[in-house]
Amino acid sequence: MRIARFVGRRLLQLIPVLLGVVVLTFLLVRVLPGDPIRTILGPNATPEDAAAARARYGLDQPMVKQFLDYLGGLVTGDLGTSIQSGTSVGAEIGLRIGPTFELVVLALAVALVVAVLLGVWSARHADRAGDHGVRLAALVGNSMPEFWLGLVLILVGYSVLGWFPAPSGRVDPDTNLTPLTGADLLDAALTLNGPAFGSALAHLILPVATLSIVVVAPLLRSVRASALEVLHSEPYVAATAHGLRGRTLLRGYLLRATLARLPSLAALVFGTSIGSTVLVEYVFSWQGFGQWALRGLLYRDYPVVQASVLVIAFCYVVVFLIADVVQAVLDPRVQI
Amino acid sequence: MSPVDPDLLSIENLSVVIRRPGREVAALSDVTLRVGRGEVVGLVGESGGGKSMVARSIVGLLPGGSHATGAVRFEGDDVLRMDDDALRRHRGHGAAICFQNPRGALSPTRTVGRQLTDRLITHQRLTETEARRAAEEQFAAVGIRSPRRRLGAYPHELSGGMAQRVMISLATGCAPGLLIADEPTTGLDVTLTREILRQFRHAADTDGRGVLLISHDLASVADVCDRVVVLYAGTVVESGPAARVLGRPAHPYTRALLRSVPDVDGRAVVATPGAMPLLKAAPRECPFAPRCAHATAECSVDRPLPTPVPGATDEWSLACFHPRTDELAFEEPAATPARATAAERAVLEVDDAHVVYRSRFGKGGHAALRGVSLRVAAGETLGVVGESGCGKSTLAKLLLGLVPAARGDVRVAGSRMSDLRGRELRRLRTRVQMVFQDPIGSLSPRRTVAEAIAEPLRALGLPAAQRAERVAAVADRLKIDRSMLARHPHELSGGQAQRVCIARALAGEPDVLVFDEPTSALDVTVQAQILDVIADVVRDPSRGSVFISHDLATVRGFADRVIVLYLGRIVEEGPVEEVFGRPRHPYTRALLSSAPSLGSGFSGPKVTLTEDLDDTEAAATGCPLAARCPFAADRCRTEEQQLRPHGTAQVACWRVPEIPDLLKGSDIRV
Amino acid sequence: MPEVMPETVVVGAARAGRFATVLIVTGSAILAVVALAAIVAPLLTGWGPTEIDPLGTLVPPGPGHPLGTDANGMDVWSRLLYAGRLDLGIAVAGVAAAVVAGTALGLVAGYLGGWVDDVLMRVVDVFQAFPTFILALAVAALVGNGTGNLIAVIAAVNAPAYARLVRAEVRTVRESSFVAASVTSGASTFGVLWRHVLPNSLTPVRVIAPLNAGWAMLTLAGLSFLGLGVTVPAAEWGAMISLGSPDVVAGRWWTSVPPGLVLLICVLGFSLLGEGLQERAEAKRR
Repeated sequence: MRIARFVGRRLLQLIPVLLGVVVLTFLLVRVLPGDPIRTILGPNATPEDAAAARARYGLDQPMVKQFLDYLGGLVTGDLGTSIQSGTSVGAEIGLRIGPTFELVVLALAVALVVAVLLGVWSARHADRAGDHGVRLAALVGNSMPEFWLGLVLILVGYSVLGWFPAPSGRVDPDTNLTPLTGADLLDAALTLNGPAFGSALAHLILPVATLSIVVVAPLLRSVRASALEVLHSEPYVAATAHGLRGRTLLRGYLLRATLARLPSLAALVFGTSIGSTVLVEYVFSWQGFGQWALRGLLYRDYPVVQASVLVIAFCYVVVFLIADVVQAVLDPRVQI
Repeated sequence: MSPVDPDLLSIENLSVVIRRPGREVAALSDVTLRVGRGEVVGLVGESGGGKSMVARSIVGLLPGGSHATGAVRFEGDDVLRMDDDALRRHRGHGAAICFQNPRGALSPTRTVGRQLTDRLITHQRLTETEARRAAEEQFAAVGIRSPRRRLGAYPHELSGGMAQRVMISLATGCAPGLLIADEPTTGLDVTLTREILRQFRHAADTDGRGVLLISHDLASVADVCDRVVVLYAGTVVESGPAARVLGRPAHPYTRALLRSVPDVDGRAVVATPGAMPLLKAAPRECPFAPRCAHATAECSVDRPLPTPVPGATDEWSLACFHPRTDELAFEEPAATPARATAAERAVLEVDDAHVVYRSRFGKGGHAALRGVSLRVAAGETLGVVGESGCGKSTLAKLLLGLVPAARGDVRVAGSRMSDLRGRELRRLRTRVQMVFQDPIGSLSPRRTVAEAIAEPLRALGLPAAQRAERVAAVADRLKIDRSMLARHPHELSGGQAQRVCIARALAGEPDVLVFDEPTSALDVTVQAQILDVIADVVRDPSRGSVFISHDLATVRGFADRVIVLYLGRIVEEGPVEEVFGRPRHPYTRALLSSAPSLGSGFSGPKVTLTEDLDDTEAAATGCPLAARCPFAADRCRTEEQQLRPHGTAQVACWRVPEIPDLLKGSDIRV
Repeated sequence: MPEVMPETVVVGAARAGRFATVLIVTGSAILAVVALAAIVAPLLTGWGPTEIDPLGTLVPPGPGHPLGTDANGMDVWSRLLYAGRLDLGIAVAGVAAAVVAGTALGLVAGYLGGWVDDVLMRVVDVFQAFPTFILALAVAALVGNGTGNLIAVIAAVNAPAYARLVRAEVRTVRESSFVAASVTSGASTFGVLWRHVLPNSLTPVRVIAPLNAGWAMLTLAGLSFLGLGVTVPAAEWGAMISLGSPDVVAGRWWTSVPPGLVLLICVLGFSLLGEGLQERAEAKRR
């Protein structure tokens, strides 16, 4: 109950933050050098054509009017129309967000499990060969350019070995997958489409591997450091000195105390993974949200940039909110 | 072959050297001691003497890099050479430690009830339900009220005293043969200290456990221990029955230790020069020889080993070539010349000061001081005493202008700090100087000693050459070696650092010196040295001093007048002899009653407060002590108490005239 | 039978404090080699960084071109060497600027508190409401590319973190008794800040800065990879990987694998250095 109230209060606090983000991006987008109209008209357009196009997108209106129109649209759930494609931004997001979520959720899940298991193991074997190996691997992962790692995996997995499909698209079109959520693996499972499931899985492996390697490294380092700190902490030493053993020590005195220090760090790592997702999608031609947002930025597609910034900011703050809740659940000292 | 009925614990010639890259410390050298069943043995000495290392060796938790020789026999088995399984069985069930800082040693993410049942299930093989019931009884046994509710509490929800009780219940919950208490009363107020120590006596008397009580606080240990072992620089210098060793010690170090402890009976403290050495290898000579007044050439070429004192039948033994046989004599308190303070110039005046700490967002806040008035004349020393949380530190901050007064004002040498700004304010600030509790922490880590001492001079705008001159002069006065001036704080010992802090406070020739618990972070013999220095400094007739301490005995040593604070209010004020000799307020009497003492202690009828300060809800109206006071009547709970003159003192209690009669009543616990 | 005194029992190995030193030395050595190679690049290769070999594009590694040529016919080896100048230069300059700006802001906000603190920290909040790389993308798109602009981008996206870090440290140091001692000794606010608060608040910055320089290199290369940072033909590792990425599907590794590998090693150098400093700081704390 207390947690529900806390979440409610925090969600209310989100409104001014997101409003600030809306205002800021609205202004910034319009001072960006470059003109969205030029990019759709081509080189031979007359000034009259340009003016007509500008009027079509409402860009001839005064700034305040444009903003109020945009805000009015937001309240009714209308995110505007993409200048590049002419379709509704809301519909495009619906189409793009599924594949990205699938990629990110899978990668994060893999990374979390690996990081916790390996991190705790490494801390309990501190300063032995295995621990040194884990630490070095984490350092290398931390220093890894994810876009390059994706390319190397494509080179090895597709060009040399031929085990994985070409990095273009998310599922073989011949499998006739009926899109429901946009998350292909999930859709294939829901429609009981076996071949599509296999194809989607094969397409997912390399990008998920890329993303989880760069995400697992910082998490692993934090888990190890946190577990090590707990192992050397007075409460743990006291529990050992009182002769508690194996499972009681691990479950009661190590795991929860280790994890209690991590949620806000994990949220930060999630933040960096949003950046990595943009790069990974680009490398694997994922046609997801990240790639769509990037193209919007490059072509100065105002409604697309505004909407994607809003979505990213929303996800980011919601993840921090989740982190706070998890922290409060794990650590009784945290008051919410 | 182990003997048929071995001692519970028998440590034989234990030596521990800790070897780490670039550092080597001989933590223990040839330590031999034993603890029997049902016996409480005190392990005393200053920090660095090796007390904690003994405790760690008993549960097989020596730090990494330790090289140990000798044996730690527990019921005949050598703990040093146990395999992992045997060690796990031994820990907890064989010997269990009560950790020094209970709040830090309790796991923050598990309820204290779970932590206790974990131990009960592991060591007493109880089921979940049995364990829960047993845990409740255990909590009740260590004096936790409403134990069932407390089982679900997390450590951060407990007060210091409560956490210590929980820690004791955890250790006894392991049903150990030997209970080890590592400084169990550090940071606790005097009233609680006695209660906690009683728990250990109880564990030995009723459960037949052996208890090893580690403490630097000789006076509190004296009451509960059967035998005492004194450690110095990793060696046992004297051991024997508590009454013998603490009452008629023969080793010069034990004697120095005892003479260094201030006492509420007001006897004079005698300082011993020097400091405990940090040994790199087991000493070949007597480690105390450099500080010993009786040392001869023999002492610095050969190390005396612990040997039974000839003729003693009671296991009294000591390691000394020249044992002292005469009684430990204490000088009578030096009679302080009565000074006509009232007529002299007031250097510090506080009038009806209130300090409120506002919570940042919420309304209201916490009132740390409520209507405090005081006056310090030049040449006078004012002592301020009270339990933790009574507002002592806030008062210090107020005097220095570090917190503003919500109401009332503070005048230093006649000027009000709140009237001044900028350069003039900074000037005035140099007129009041403080000596802090944590000497090393109050020196900027990246500045040298000379720079630290020169800080107030820099504010006065003195040129560099004059600054250096003044620094050298004040360093000489405090016997700070010139070579030390170029050092950084982390290269100093606590005692050296505190000298530097006093030098800094003196450098600008201030009107007022404030000492905020200046010796509470120091070891006993070092404390005695620093108290000597302070006693010298406060004698200066041009300056007034305020000496704040929770330790009544140190205040008694050199204050002219004393104020007693309770929850932000002055409850009693008067000349030191009057307040300590004839306390009128029940709170003052209770503080004095529970003050540990090696000497005669507080001689009048004693009073015990009924609850811990931590557990008391601050009452909105009436006398703040009402909830804890054995004399509280209805009127106390409704009527705010004001200071009223009684003889030469002032007391905030309407029952003062009745108290002598009340003390004769039988309902007062003594 | 009298018992023989058993020999010495050794508990655990002394924790090797040398590991930190190994990390620091290795990391510094890697960085030194890369930096040196970038500086003396003309001595190590005959080709200029943007010089086109008229004889061929996408030549595989061989005698004339130790790492082959790219799609434009430029020598990959020499571009690899020269790229260090831009990559290291921009990352280090950007982080240095971020440290200076962030520290100054954090110091003022943390020590003064009150509304100054509130305003500065709200600005920091807005910056930190976005993932660093996304912010860098947006700012880079806003200001356009060019060496100076990229340094500004790196500085702008990293400065808020330093401001927050230093502020937190300052708020701790501010409460310490040595600062109280200095204030009551009549020192001015500036004097307290400069002589006591600042020098004692920089420890975490010293540890974070090298790690941060590594991330900055990754950010820069990522921007260039997407065409928002340094652009071809200038020699920069991210841009080189970008140019070489279409070749991967065809199995031509030499245009994109070497620049990525060098980038990885260089960032690893910073990571090792940072890790070592962190370990040393922790060892000191214990």
